[in-house]
Amino acid sequence: MSSSLDTASISAGAAGTPIAEPAFSDYARAKRRRVRWRRIFRGGVGTLVVLLLWEWMSRAFDLELILPRPLAVLRNVVSTLMLTNEPWLYGPNIYVHLEHSFLRAMIGFGLAAMIAIPLGLVLGRLATLREFTLPVIKALYPVPGIAWIPIAILWFGLTDKAVVFVVFTTTFFPLFFNTEAGARLINPVVLNAGRCFGARGPVLFFRVILPATVPYIITGLRISIGTAWRMIVAGEMLAAQDGIGFMLMESRFQFRAVDLMTAMILVSIVGYLTEKLIVDTIEKRTIEKWEVQPG
Amino acid sequence: MQFWTRIMTASLLAAALGAAPDGHAADKVRVGMLKPNVVTVIYWIAVKTGAFEKNGLEVEEHPFPSGQSVAGVEQMLRGNLDFYIGAGGEVARANSQSMQAGKPPPLAMMPAGDKGGTNFMMSNKLQGKTFDDLKSQQLRIGISSPSSTHLILFRSFLKDKNLTTNDLKWQFITVQGENMVPALLGGQLDGFMHDALTATIALQAKAGFLFMSAHRGDMGETAQNLPNTMITISRGYTAAHPDITRRFVKAIFDASDAYDKAPVSEQVKMIAEWTHRDPAVVEQMLQIFDPRVPRSDKPAQAWWQLDGTAMKARGEILPQMKFDDVFDLSYLKQ
Repeated sequence: MSSSLDTASISAGAAGTPIAEPAFSDYARAKRRRVRWRRIFRGGVGTLVVLLLWEWMSRAFDLELILPRPLAVLRNVVSTLMLTNEPWLYGPNIYVHLEHSFLRAMIGFGLAAMIAIPLGLVLGRLATLREFTLPVIKALYPVPGIAWIPIAILWFGLTDKAVVFVVFTTTFFPLFFNTEAGARLINPVVLNAGRCFGARGPVLFFRVILPATVPYIITGLRISIGTAWRMIVAGEMLAAQDGIGFMLMESRFQFRAVDLMTAMILVSIVGYLTEKLIVDTIEKRTIEKWEVQPG
Repeated sequence: MQFWTRIMTASLLAAALGAAPDGHAADKVRVGMLKPNVVTVIYWIAVKTGAFEKNGLEVEEHPFPSGQSVAGVEQMLRGNLDFYIGAGGEVARANSQSMQAGKPPPLAMMPAGDKGGTNFMMSNKLQGKTFDDLKSQQLRIGISSPSSTHLILFRSFLKDKNLTTNDLKWQFITVQGENMVPALLGGQLDGFMHDALTATIALQAKAGFLFMSAHRGDMGETAQNLPNTMITISRGYTAAHPDITRRFVKAIFDASDAYDKAPVSEQVKMIAEWTHRDPAVVEQMLQIFDPRVPRSDKPAQAWWQLDGTAMKARGEILPQMKFDDVFDLSYLKQ
C-alpha cells in the first residue's frame, strides 16, 4: 500500500494531479472486471431469455412431446451423467457412448492433421507441386461430408473405420487450406531476413516458415475440430451401433425428445471442452510461446 | 318486374346449387405409408381395386422410406396425416410419452394384416443352424431401425427363454431393408430380421437360410397371429370424422376381400407393382406372406401380449399402459 503511494507521489503529473501508474493499472483492472461482469450479465440475460422463450413455447403450444421443458432436459442431463436415468434404452452407459464418439472423432481428426498440415506446408511453399495437386484437392472439397457416408460404408462396412473415414474427409480440408494459405502467404521480407541470418533448409523451416504458418494452422485446427464433432454425430447416426450419434438416432425412434436434447447438450459440452483442451493447449505452446504475430 | 324477380330467383338458386356440397364428392384423406414396402401392400391393393373410391375417399399419398415408420408417426402427431399404414411400436411409444406428460394418448392403431411377418435370416457360412448353436457366437444382425418391430418380437422370444439381447454376443446393426441381402452376401452381416420379401430375395440369392419365421411358428403360436402392418389413426381426427374413419377402414377390408378372391396371378401382379420386385420372387414369397386384414381382435391381442409386454419389460412404454391406450378396435365391427 505504502509503496503504491510512494510511486504515485513520484510520478505526479504536470498539473500536480497524481496520474500514477498503479492508479492507472487499478483503473484498467477495474475496467476489465467491469467488462467481464457486463459480458457475464448480458450472456446470462440472453440465455435466460432463450430459456424462458423455450419454456413458454413448450407450455403454450403444448409441445412437450417434441419440445420438453428446459428444466426437464436439465434434470435429464444430470441423471444421465449420474447414471441414474431410468429406463436406459441405449445400451452401454453414456460415458461409453461419449468415449467411443471421442475416440472416433479424435482418430479421424488426428489423421487429417497428420496429413493435411505437412501437405499444406509443402504445397504452400512449392508452387510447381501445388499446380499439380491443388485442382484435385479443390475438386474433392465441395463434396459434402454426409455424401462420403455411403461410400465409406461400401469401403469399410458398418465399422468404426467408416465413421473415422468420414471424419477424416471432412476435417482434412479446412486444415489443409488454412495451412497451405499460411505457408504460401508468408511475407518474403521475413523469409529474406531469416536467410540473411544464415537460416537454410530445416533451420529456415523450423525457425521461420513453421512459426509464421502457425496462426493459420491453429485456425484450421479450430474449424476442423468443430467439424469433427458435427460429422461424428452424422456418421454415427448412419453407420455405428454406439456413440452419441447413435444415441441421438435411437432416442428419436423411442420418441424421447428429452433424451434427444440431452444428447445434443452433451455433444455441445464435450465438443467445446475438446476444442479448449486441444487447440488452446497447442496455441499456448506455439503462438504464445514463440510470440508469433499473425500476418 | 316479374321477369326480373324470376331471373333473380333463378340466379340465386343456381348459385346456391353450385355452392352446395356435392353429395357424391369424395372426401380427401392424407395417408402415409412405408413405400416401397411389402408390409403396406394392402394400401396399394385398395388403390388398384378401387376400394377407396367405392367408399367415397380420395387419397393423397405420403410415402416414407422403409425403416422410417417413426417419421410417419411424427407426421401423425403433428396433424399432417389423417391415417398412417406402417409398423406399430412407434405408436405405443408416442402414446406412452404423452401419458407420461399427463396427457391422453393421441394415437391409436388397428391391425392391418401380414400376420407372422417376422423373418430371421442367417448366413449359410455360419457354423450351426439352431438358436442354441448360434446364441454364443459373435454375430452381426441387421435390423431396419433400432425400433424394429422384428427386434421387439425377437426380444419377446428371448424373454420366454429368460434371456435378453444383452445375454447374446450379437450386435444389432441398422441397415436399410434393400441393403440387407447384399450385406449378407458380402459378409458384412451374419443375419438379418426383416419382412417376407427381403427374406425371399435372400433365399433366392442363396445368401442364407430362414433361421426363424413367425409365420412358420418358430417364435411361438401367438407370434403366428402377430400383425406386422398397422393402421394408425389420430384419436382427435377420428372423433371429428368418425364416418370418414369408418369408410377408410371399410376400404381396407374391401381390399382384403378383393385380394382374397383374386387369382394368384393377380395377387402377384399387385404385390410386384407395389414392391417393384420380380413376380417370380413375389410368387415364392406368398408361402410366408399374407396381406389379408383380419376382422377379429386376435392379432391386436397377440401384439399386446408379445410386443406390448416386451416393450413394458424394457421400459420403452409405461408399465401402467393398457390395451385401449394403444388400440382402438371399434372400427373393426362393421
